[in-house]
Amino acid sequence: MVSLSMVVLVVPLVVGILAGFVFRGVRRVDLSRVVFGVIVVLIFSLGFSIGSNGELLGSLPTVGVSGLVFALLAIGFSVLFVVLVRRRLRL
Amino acid sequence: MIKYILLALFVGAVLGYVNSNVNGGFSGVWVSDYLFNGSLFGLLFVMGFGFGVDKDAVKRFRGKGLRVLVVPLVVAFGSLLGGLVAGLILGLNLFGSMAVAAGFGWYTLTGPLLSQVLGSQWGALGFVANFLRELLTIVLVPFWVRVDKYAAVASGGATTMDTTLPVIVRYGGSDVLVAAFSSGFVLSLVAPFAVLGFASLV
Repeated sequence: MVSLSMVVLVVPLVVGILAGFVFRGVRRVDLSRVVFGVIVVLIFSLGFSIGSNGELLGSLPTVGVSGLVFALLAIGFSVLFVVLVRRRLRL
Repeated sequence: MIKYILLALFVGAVLGYVNSNVNGGFSGVWVSDYLFNGSLFGLLFVMGFGFGVDKDAVKRFRGKGLRVLVVPLVVAFGSLLGGLVAGLILGLNLFGSMAVAAGFGWYTLTGPLLSQVLGSQWGALGFVANFLRELLTIVLVPFWVRVDKYAAVASGGATTMDTTLPVIVRYGGSDVLVAAFSSGFVLSLVAPFAVLGFASLV
């Protein structure tokens, strides 16, 4: 199922990349403060929607354990394949 | 930076909980929909702008040819396989699981994106899984440098262009700087598209 929101979310990203390309070299701007401010607001509202969802709050310990399984497996396979490929290609 | 993010998440969760459990609380939609979507759009735009405006990015890759793409592609493949196996073990939807792993450690993006597309349950998992990837990478760097020169770069995924870069360089030396930065850069560029792509298959 492709929902509209997915298509809509690619728009700001692609427009941002194009806008950045156009403004290249015009003026150097430090984006890190802007990014930080936006991230804080975004994570605050993510927290707010998690806090408002009573059912989800109850399942948070499970989410923690699942998250750990994901993190360990993603790290493990990434390291394994990079080591194997690097030895083979002598990178 | 990490402590401000966790503080924002905690304060948000407490306020969301209080608001939904008191009489006369305001409609949470203002925060969990409008503010959330507005800042998510803002983040995607600003991140895209950062990629587009960076004229040194292409220069850094030139001369190295396609070899710089080998490490991030292998890391992407390993991460997605890790997500697939995690989904099998935990009995979760496999495309959703690969979407979680496709954040490559970028939790401030993956959590909100999945929350928007698949709901807050997946959003919380996307946040926690990728947050732990970054945290474990920082903790394990001293160990990874003894395993392989690029093991820490593989472990960090998309985070090796910013948050985990200083730690990796400190332990791995400046030889890994370019590899770490370019791998993190490529994965950060791919992550939003990969997360949305796998989420769309759920």
